[in-house]
Amino acid sequence: MLSVEGLSVDIAGTSILRDITLDVNEGEIVCLVGRNGAGKTTLLRAIMGQLAARAGAVKWRGAALTGLPPHLVARRGIGFSPEESEVFASLSVAQNIAFGTWTRPAPAARAQARVAFAYEVFPKLTTYMARGGAELSGGERKMVSIARALALDPELLLLDEPFEGLSPAIIPTIAAGIASIRASGKAILMAESNVQHIPDYVSRICVIERGEIIFRGSLAEARADPLVRQVASGLA
Amino acid sequence: MATVDLLFAALFNAAVLFLVTAGLQLIFGVQRIVNLTAGSLYALGAYFGASVFEWFSAQGGSPALLLPVLILSGLLAGQVGFVIERVLRTVYGRDEAFQLLMTFAFVLMFQDVLRYVWGAQPRLLGDLPSVYGTLAVGGFTFPVYNLLVMLSALVVAGLLYWLIERTSLGHVVRATAENGRMAEALGANTRRINTLVFVLGSMLGTVGGALVIPTTAASLEMPIALIVEAFAVVVIGGLGSIRGAFLGAIIVGVLRALSLTYFPELEVMSIYLVVIVVLVVRPYGLFGKAEA
Repeated sequence: MLSVEGLSVDIAGTSILRDITLDVNEGEIVCLVGRNGAGKTTLLRAIMGQLAARAGAVKWRGAALTGLPPHLVARRGIGFSPEESEVFASLSVAQNIAFGTWTRPAPAARAQARVAFAYEVFPKLTTYMARGGAELSGGERKMVSIARALALDPELLLLDEPFEGLSPAIIPTIAAGIASIRASGKAILMAESNVQHIPDYVSRICVIERGEIIFRGSLAEARADPLVRQVASGLA
Repeated sequence: MATVDLLFAALFNAAVLFLVTAGLQLIFGVQRIVNLTAGSLYALGAYFGASVFEWFSAQGGSPALLLPVLILSGLLAGQVGFVIERVLRTVYGRDEAFQLLMTFAFVLMFQDVLRYVWGAQPRLLGDLPSVYGTLAVGGFTFPVYNLLVMLSALVVAGLLYWLIERTSLGHVVRATAENGRMAEALGANTRRINTLVFVLGSMLGTVGGALVIPTTAASLEMPIALIVEAFAVVVIGGLGSIRGAFLGAIIVGVLRALSLTYFPELEVMSIYLVVIVVLVVRPYGLFGKAEA
């Protein structure tokens, strides 16, 4: 469903991504692994249309996404939860989560079902729906950020470092949520710098280093690869 | 008696000032642009409103329709905001100085356009507010037209609150103001929201100008005179705050009325003395937010 073909991205004249090729198929969980600064976030933001491509293309079900503004990429069915969560502080938890039903409207019953599914993935959110976005802990913000992307009803979810900076107590909750999303049949492209956080059921792993993909394979193959062990923490 | 008249004049002035500064605040709140053209839009609304009502009267229109005709003409004149926003779009995200210079260029251009279309002489509609008569309460008489303008400002304040705080569109606008990149990644067409907000803000300015024309002459001095008061309102109320615009407009309106009554030569000084005090004591205004 998503094809990244020979994508290169420059930021302020510096080459950040070089000739990236990557596919995500229906229901797959693909994990981008790499050190901080390797280019994971740049790739996710380029897919979302937030960064322009110097060369190459991003395609969604065969049609070009490259050059589309981010709101049209989102409306095609790609949800995005950024590393810093970026929950709207001026809105409540409920308003943050309902956001996607306003920007990608659907008949009332369908919109309600989308929001209901977001709360199903993270049931704890129902206990503080009226709380303001500025009053949340890091883990709560992360749940809201992922639930908010889900309420957009995406077929593909881009998760940037979903476990980064979270306390060990909240990590199982986020992991369980991601497992629920996977069980619903949605595809996920997840960026992660710590391999220990990658779930066992991940379909494939792509290791990115200095803007290039240097390894593709299963989690077990990644763990056995000496080059991957050098660049990704948590493998040793 | 004089105190009640003074207070009434102050509140009428505050109502018009609120409409214009609410537009200014709305645009700053979402687009972070200090829109100097607010004064020019106010003058455009006044001139355009005068012309539209003259045309309406020449067609045999009833003077009793003064208020709705002026409001409609103001809404129509505010569509010029589409053109201004299209040009301003080129400087979004650039240094504030570019944005300020761009809106100042519009102020100067508007001045020539107003002079070219309506001439250099002030334009007066005559004693039209009298068609609505006066209202006698407890020995005092108030022009009904002025009361209707104050009521209109209150209705606008209520509608703005409802739009921003209670509707899904308002939530998207607030989210866009806070983090446009994230709102866009969640499907919000931020370009369209920026246009919508700018045109809405422009319409508030032109409606304010149109409503004031039956009580004062439209003139080429209007933009500067208004902007002097509007910035005082913004500083006192807090940049970007609609609530601040409401309270700030009342404070400036009362200050202006008091100084015009007792020290007419010191009108601007008395207002800006308060502005300086606010800047020193509470630099982000009564309802503004301190920079993080």
